[in-house]
Amino acid sequence: MSKLIDPREGVRVLLMGNEAIVRGALEAGVNVAAGYPGTPSSEIVQNLADVAGERNLYVEWSVNEKVAMEVAAAASFAKLRSLCAMKQNGVNVASDFLLHLTAAGTRGGMVLVACDDPGALSSVNEGESRHFARMVEVPLLEPGDFQEAKDMTKWAFELSEEIRNLVVLRSVTRMSHASGNVTLGRLSDAQPKAEFKYDGFILDPLEGPVVSAPVPYKHTLQQEKLKRVREIFEGSPFNTYAGPEKPDLLVVTSSACTLYSREAIHVLGVKDRVGLLKLGTTWPLPPELLKRHLASTDRVLIVEEVIPFLEENVKILAAETALEIGAKTFFGKNDGTLPSIGELNPDLVAAAIAKILGIDHVAMPPDYEKKATLMSFAKAPNRELTFCPGCPHRASFWAIHHALLMDNRLGFVCGDIGCYSMAALPCGFSTLKTLHAMGSGAGVASGFGQLHRFGMEQPAMTVCGDSTFFASVMPALVNAIHHRADLTVVVLDNSGTAMTGFQPHPGLKVNAMGGDVPALDIARICAAMGAKVEVRDPFQLEEARGTLIGLLEEKGVKVLIMRQMCALSPEKRAKKKYEVQVDEALCLGETCGCNRLCTRVFRCPGLVWDKERKKARVDEVLCAGCGVCALICPAEAIRKEEVA
Amino acid sequence: MEMTIMGQKELQERVHRAQLCTGCGACVNLCPYQVFYQDQTIVLDACDIKEGRCFAFCPRTPADLEAMRRRFFAPGDLTPEIGAVKGYLIARAADAAIRTGAQHGGTVSALMALALAEGLIDTAIVAEGADRFLQQGVAVGDGAEVLKRGKSKFITAATVAAFNRAAKGPAGAIGVVATPCQVFALAKMRMKPLPERDNNIDKLKLVIGLFCGWALDWRKFTALLAARTALEDITGMDIPQGRRLVVIYTRNGALEIPWDEVAPIAREACGVCVDTTAEFADLSVGSARIGETWETTRTWNQVIVRTEAGQALIDLARRKGVLEFREPPAGVLDELKAAARDKKKASLEKIIARTGNPEDLIYVDRRDPVIRAILD
Repeated sequence: MSKLIDPREGVRVLLMGNEAIVRGALEAGVNVAAGYPGTPSSEIVQNLADVAGERNLYVEWSVNEKVAMEVAAAASFAKLRSLCAMKQNGVNVASDFLLHLTAAGTRGGMVLVACDDPGALSSVNEGESRHFARMVEVPLLEPGDFQEAKDMTKWAFELSEEIRNLVVLRSVTRMSHASGNVTLGRLSDAQPKAEFKYDGFILDPLEGPVVSAPVPYKHTLQQEKLKRVREIFEGSPFNTYAGPEKPDLLVVTSSACTLYSREAIHVLGVKDRVGLLKLGTTWPLPPELLKRHLASTDRVLIVEEVIPFLEENVKILAAETALEIGAKTFFGKNDGTLPSIGELNPDLVAAAIAKILGIDHVAMPPDYEKKATLMSFAKAPNRELTFCPGCPHRASFWAIHHALLMDNRLGFVCGDIGCYSMAALPCGFSTLKTLHAMGSGAGVASGFGQLHRFGMEQPAMTVCGDSTFFASVMPALVNAIHHRADLTVVVLDNSGTAMTGFQPHPGLKVNAMGGDVPALDIARICAAMGAKVEVRDPFQLEEARGTLIGLLEEKGVKVLIMRQMCALSPEKRAKKKYEVQVDEALCLGETCGCNRLCTRVFRCPGLVWDKERKKARVDEVLCAGCGVCALICPAEAIRKEEVA
Repeated sequence: MEMTIMGQKELQERVHRAQLCTGCGACVNLCPYQVFYQDQTIVLDACDIKEGRCFAFCPRTPADLEAMRRRFFAPGDLTPEIGAVKGYLIARAADAAIRTGAQHGGTVSALMALALAEGLIDTAIVAEGADRFLQQGVAVGDGAEVLKRGKSKFITAATVAAFNRAAKGPAGAIGVVATPCQVFALAKMRMKPLPERDNNIDKLKLVIGLFCGWALDWRKFTALLAARTALEDITGMDIPQGRRLVVIYTRNGALEIPWDEVAPIAREACGVCVDTTAEFADLSVGSARIGETWETTRTWNQVIVRTEAGQALIDLARRKGVLEFREPPAGVLDELKAAARDKKKASLEKIIARTGNPEDLIYVDRRDPVIRAILD
């Protein structure tokens, strides 16, 4: 049994932040959950899916975040409790619906869990979801530890029902992915019946139609609700203060930064001088609480990650109440006391506090970083970002890269988000020349595909993953076909949402809960749209390349589906198709005629260059047995033998 | 001029990007980094070897022409305009069927078939037509196969790439039919500039060069043709003697394309070529210029015999009755020399226009006596 459905109240268990959020939702009696995979959010929907049977839930990996939010909203409209989870970029995708949703209001408790990725550890940009709460005028909660992650999630459903609107719970990578002790509460045993009422008076929030009209009334109502939220937040136990009555410096913080700030104050030994106001309810800010604390000091440091959201809101409040609380000196991101980008950590916060208080503090010996860098260059093995051994993307980009060169018209690839984003790097032969949001590669390429009328002779190509195809490439493809763009689309179909952990998508016969579902065929979809479609196995390098070159020469929209399962897929894992070996007698190594094509250019991590022997070697442990390197060796020194 | 052998990076900078690549294929099939596709040499991936065979063999990298002439030819045979001349002949295949399948007199086809039949070589590298007028070099082992591939399409075939591939295989003695740039690349290979990395050049036993003024850019040429006729109707093409045009033979009759339309689509690299007669071959063959009607003239070839091996093959052909000969009209060799000299001069002037420096001839050695004789 999953510890997430452990029925024992009061027991302390170690939970990852995302698990704590799941437990909180289960204690709240969540009925429906939906999301789209994206680090650091992915474990939330998956963990709910894993207990869907036991807890009588409906959980799905939706086709994209906007649809996930719509699916969850339907449950709320039918008076169930629902949750949707996504990474920050996903909130951007869902944001069109988000404004409509919050303007019309919800019924059953509905919580959006938005997971930000400060420092872009698993992202291609450093985005911020908190301002969506301010933009669409709904409450925002930010857990400051793992217990709070659970408790706050549970309470978020109650708050949502109190104000009949969405509540946003924002996590960050270090909150979602770190673990801590959580004392379990009681699992809900509510078994609500779903029913959507729509025949009531148009202004009836529970029985009328769910619409945002009349706008003046509904918008006013929404703002009234927000005022009510502000009052509730004044007494929220999720806002705490620790420190002297009249601190030399007030630190205002939220989320994972609470932990960093607490540690920094401890390390500096300044708990008698520095007060820590930790906020769990960051939008709208509770004004009385803030006023009380701001009045107690002249100096305020705001500690937060990504954009200075809290800092700006606190400053607005301070400006509005300046006559009561007096002038303050603010420190934070805006004045450069804290870095304006990237993740924070206890050292950075300690340095900021020390600087403000004039304390002589060195977080680490000055030459430590230099030494560490030196050591990492000298001692650590050189590891670059790369595709896994046996990754079909390496083979696909080998074919794409060569096809574009042979086509000889300076063609290029527009990309989007997936493992294949790394094709902008040497591991993918630096093939991607634009890299944007999911589905944007196809949209951008659709635009390039119109520029021949301005003299552009370069052929445009785009790549997308199979999950991305369904998520957001289809509209761009429709656009390109309808407008007669000249465009080659390569769908890197590796049979799963590989980058985030093999979540199922509409192209597969299984759903998040393990149930049977119909699989949609990408090739047939593209053909039905009117594209010319080919399907190839990227491991057949020559054939894939040849097909691609042929497609590049044709006008219109052409789709090549490169179909080969991810090397790490549960179905493939640990099963080698080939035993691969290097015949040292034939290996040309560094000489003219090869110059280490396999280890210098192709660079599968399963191939190793033996410096002493000046020969290539297969690392049997890393090698996934795909056999592709045997096809590229000019000397036929790499031998593959089918495993019986 | 620096004769240093460099690597792929410099080859790419100085030849490919400078539009000097002739598409001869010398840098292809030696390694995985260059391929030939359509009518272009394509660099697929970067190689960082400092001294590469690709650079060493390329006909557009610097070469010591004097050393090469000394190595391959009798000093008394050398002429400044057209290289070594041991003999000069007007010839054609004795078999009319061979002539019909050939561009002109069928001399090259007949000689290659003979060399195969007599065991002088076991493999012949010739160009063959592929899809949409593209040309490719192929290795054949049978005279009948040579005779099927006698027509020109004015598009380069990476003949030397085909040699490189064949030389790696079981072939023991190879003969090649090649354009001047290809002949020059093969000659550079024979000089063995990087002896530690052999490409089996000793298997090369016979080189028959083709006279060549230029090759056309395939994309531009097919676009030009497609605007006038269905490509599949085209049966052949030629440059008639004494007329400034290209004639395209189609199933529906001949089309004439004025030279002024064709000249701009010649490969850029051909404009700076100083060799029209394949000076480093054993034998060089071109269409005859004998001052009779084109219908007659086009059934003959002119042949320059340059080496002992070339002479031996001609003698054999004469003995076997494979070729028939006629007396060269008076002055025709001088006309050929004058034309070759004019082309050398025009190309050198184009090179100087490019570099803006009369002392910098890119790949041509300014100190070479032949070059000096033209420029000074």
